[in-house]
Amino acid sequence: MIALIRSEWIKLRTVRSNVTTAIVAVAIPLLITLLSVAFMKTSSIDESTLSDFVLGTGSIAVLLIGVIGVLCVTQEYSQGTIRLTLAATPGRTRVYVGKATLMALVGAALTGFIILASLVVGSLILGSRDVPGSHTSMSAGLTSMVLMGALVALLGMAIGTLTRNPPSAITTLVLWPLLVEGIVGGLLSLAVGDDVRRWMPFQTGFNSMFPETPDNGFTRWESLGYFAAWVLVVTVLAERSFKRRDA
Amino acid sequence: MIDVEGLTKRYGSTTAVDDLSFSVRTGVVTGFLGPNGSGKSTTMRCMIGLDRMQAGRALFDGKKYADLKNPLHEVGALLDAGNAHSGRSARNHLRWMAVSNGLSPKRVDEVLEIVGLNEVAKKRAGQFSLGMKQRLGIASVLLGDPRVVILDEPANGLDPEGIRWIREMLKHLASQGRAVLVSSHLLSEMALIADELVVIGKGRLIEQCTVDQFIARHAKRWVVVRSPQLATLVEVARANGMQVATGDGVAEFHGVESATIGELAARNAIVLHELSTQTGSLEDAFLEVTASSVEYHGRTEANS
Repeated sequence: MIALIRSEWIKLRTVRSNVTTAIVAVAIPLLITLLSVAFMKTSSIDESTLSDFVLGTGSIAVLLIGVIGVLCVTQEYSQGTIRLTLAATPGRTRVYVGKATLMALVGAALTGFIILASLVVGSLILGSRDVPGSHTSMSAGLTSMVLMGALVALLGMAIGTLTRNPPSAITTLVLWPLLVEGIVGGLLSLAVGDDVRRWMPFQTGFNSMFPETPDNGFTRWESLGYFAAWVLVVTVLAERSFKRRDA
Repeated sequence: MIDVEGLTKRYGSTTAVDDLSFSVRTGVVTGFLGPNGSGKSTTMRCMIGLDRMQAGRALFDGKKYADLKNPLHEVGALLDAGNAHSGRSARNHLRWMAVSNGLSPKRVDEVLEIVGLNEVAKKRAGQFSLGMKQRLGIASVLLGDPRVVILDEPANGLDPEGIRWIREMLKHLASQGRAVLVSSHLLSEMALIADELVVIGKGRLIEQCTVDQFIARHAKRWVVVRSPQLATLVEVARANGMQVATGDGVAEFHGVESATIGELAARNAIVLHELSTQTGSLEDAFLEVTASSVEYHGRTEANS
């Protein structure tokens, strides 16, 4: 399995578009946070401002990381390398688990890097602006954000496995939280009541990255767990389809 | 050694490969022949588990592909011109494959050297010509030094020098005691490369035999005669009910053995300058056989 994960790692980092996507996924949330703390009024900055910005851009960060998850599978189909992958490792469950392990690690590592870089560079910026106090206060939301990075990468990979096609997988991944949950949640909340919104997986998952415990009736970890359950379901469907279909 | 037994692959209601059985011996090159759409590529994909077969099995030295622990050490397969990612360098393409099967990076450089791509190892595969892609594909086949080699149209897109290189490579691999199965549309090329043939049409086995047997059975044979008294000979032969075609000082006899013509000439005191049996090419034999297979299937479909 280690050899398989190493092989997947070589595949991931030796294609320029993957590296570019990773850089963009890190740069966008990082720049938003850093520019914000560099230019906002010093009087409205407190100890938690920096981590609030990190968490506020968390949903963008994890969705962009999800795109890497999509690409790691769909580019194998668009380029035909999936046939070589499966010729080299005929056990399809093994291939899926190997790829998924790498994607979870990469997703968590990239999110972790965004957090670390934001806090370190952000503190330096605030220090140079003579804003007093420490700005590296840790919130449980940050831990949740790292886990969300891993989960959304896995979800992207699962959606990519099901569609095998980059545009439709990326569209699904992005429109699900941004459009579908808004519409479905909105309609259902009219029909059934506001309580329905907390069963929207992405909204609840993003809630686990709020600075304070969300007020939707779930704790932070229940919210994360609920999202994780959805990722698991889509992953199981994807893995079964991966095993069944011709490569 | 490859054993394919009863391989059947259906796409919906279409049967692409129908109860196909054949074997590939070690030490020889086996050519896999069939018209376009006859199921050659599908068969190869099923053999290495990329496509699911509905029935049958393919065994490599007695083992299914899915049961091979590090398959690149046992079977090297080249399908669709190598399937390299266009954005990845040749060396990195081979590296991920090598690492997945526990092969050393040194082996990557060795196979790049063997196929003559060492100078462009850092170039992206997308910048390669089709011929270079085929060479990269061959490099990936050679990576694990496998005992079985399967190649789908390896000569596609190669220039004459490349085709000769492939031919010698395949003969060399077979002479080292490997089983080599290679499909190709270039029949004249196949006649030079292959020792044995597996011929299929519409997903079914038509024949498995040696190239010589195949030609002997299916290619037309005729006897060429040159004689200063050709007109007399033709007259006598036609009187004996033989089919003769004449032209430019030569007569071609169909459906007759050369001995019969020789005896006929001797009885009539006719001088012969040439009496030789001619045989059609592999291409002739192939077209003869596959044409009838298409006809046969056309009729069965009309009946059903």
